[in-house]
Amino acid sequence: MAEGPSKDPSAAWRELVSQWEKNINALANQNMASDEFSSGSNQAMNLALRIQQGMASGMATYLATLNLPSRADITALGERLQAMEAYLSRIAVALEEPARGKSRTRGAPKRSRPPRTKQPPARLP
Amino acid sequence: MSATLGEAPKLQSSIAEQVQSEIERAIRRNIKGLEYVASPAPAVGMTPKDVIYKRGTLNLYHYLPMADEIYRVPILIVMATSNRGYILDLAPGQSFVEFLLRSGYDVYLIDWSPPSPDERRLRFEDYTLDFIPECVRRVRKDSGVKDLTLMGYCMGGVLSVIYVALHPKTQPKNLVCFTTPIDFRAMELFAKWSDRRYFEVDRLVDTTGNVPAELIFTGFEMLRPASRLAGQVTLWENLGNDEFVKSYRMFERWSNDTLPLAGEYFRQTVKDLLWENSLYKGELTIGGKRADLRNITAPILHVVAEHDHIVPHAAARPLIEQVGSAEKEEIMLKGGHISLVAGANAQRRLWPRLDAWLGVRSI
Repeated sequence: MAEGPSKDPSAAWRELVSQWEKNINALANQNMASDEFSSGSNQAMNLALRIQQGMASGMATYLATLNLPSRADITALGERLQAMEAYLSRIAVALEEPARGKSRTRGAPKRSRPPRTKQPPARLP
Repeated sequence: MSATLGEAPKLQSSIAEQVQSEIERAIRRNIKGLEYVASPAPAVGMTPKDVIYKRGTLNLYHYLPMADEIYRVPILIVMATSNRGYILDLAPGQSFVEFLLRSGYDVYLIDWSPPSPDERRLRFEDYTLDFIPECVRRVRKDSGVKDLTLMGYCMGGVLSVIYVALHPKTQPKNLVCFTTPIDFRAMELFAKWSDRRYFEVDRLVDTTGNVPAELIFTGFEMLRPASRLAGQVTLWENLGNDEFVKSYRMFERWSNDTLPLAGEYFRQTVKDLLWENSLYKGELTIGGKRADLRNITAPILHVVAEHDHIVPHAAARPLIEQVGSAEKEEIMLKGGHISLVAGANAQRRLWPRLDAWLGVRSI
């Protein structure tokens, strides 16, 4: 027996929302695929970036006049600190590894792993 | 037609009942709505794991096995650089990683943290000639097995195929890619928005260092501008359904949790992949070596989504066409870019198909 249109108002509402979503997305995608949109949105972003660059450069000059570090100076310091921390942790690992090896040979518990013997279901007898 | 005298009170009471029921639903919805706002987001990525290696943006996890015996060949998953890996480990019963573990696989995953300011200089060279090879080495050492299955999702798939193309002598036992773009010109909107006539990628990277997460997030959102609002309407309608709300919140949390991208890596993505389409043309050069997809000879499975709005099929299809593998297969499944790998759709469609393909190749 052929089914008639659904009488469930929730289903109709869901269908309406779904159609609205599809239509708006399709329309927006069509517009956003245009040269005008690409050009306009990138112009806006480039303007914002230029302002940001100008502000950063102006602020750096101002901070230098006040004999204060700029954001770039702090970032550079952070980078050097991180590099030193990484170097220290490599030294720590190198120092700890022989000790860890010794403790393992002394019978320290090592997390046991299941055997690598599993066969795919089709291959099982 | 008017109701008869006897039917009128019945009709009135029926209308009253409907009105009452709607009011009760609205009250319940409001209470649930308050709960939604007040309660914390559901926990994600909870499958037990060890962090076996960490270096800056790179994290290598090993998940604790959940089966009594496991396949010989471990899996190394490479997550997309723009998003967190917990999409593959949402919640118990809805986790791809948990599914793999329960099916008897030994699972390792490369997850990315936001790159720090000094990591703005990371390039494809770092990801494919240093990070992935180092993780492969560590997985081999940790598992004690030389073979492994390399599995990449989206840009994680791109990095994986570039890595294999650059290391043809050390092919993985298997290569699995999910919705991996190769022909970047077929990602039409991204290609249009990054049109070299208008998009000043150098200015962006030189100004911001790492490319902010908000910009990446907005790029993804603009592909389907009405979908967030439609999703919220659907959420409102389903506020009484706890499972729906939990699932919605997990996906929403993940999609909002976009990562910034390393500046130089983003510059290369735009110039080499989007502008020159060099991976597709076989002209991508990384560290002086050409990443030729014909160098890939490992058995490969590429799973793509029928309704993928981020990586359309035209962008993903060339992977299987171009690789040199004798054993290669592309499967197209219903779903979108995210529902391909996570959620009820993935659970029903992708996971069993993948297990059927991979199980026989993991011994």
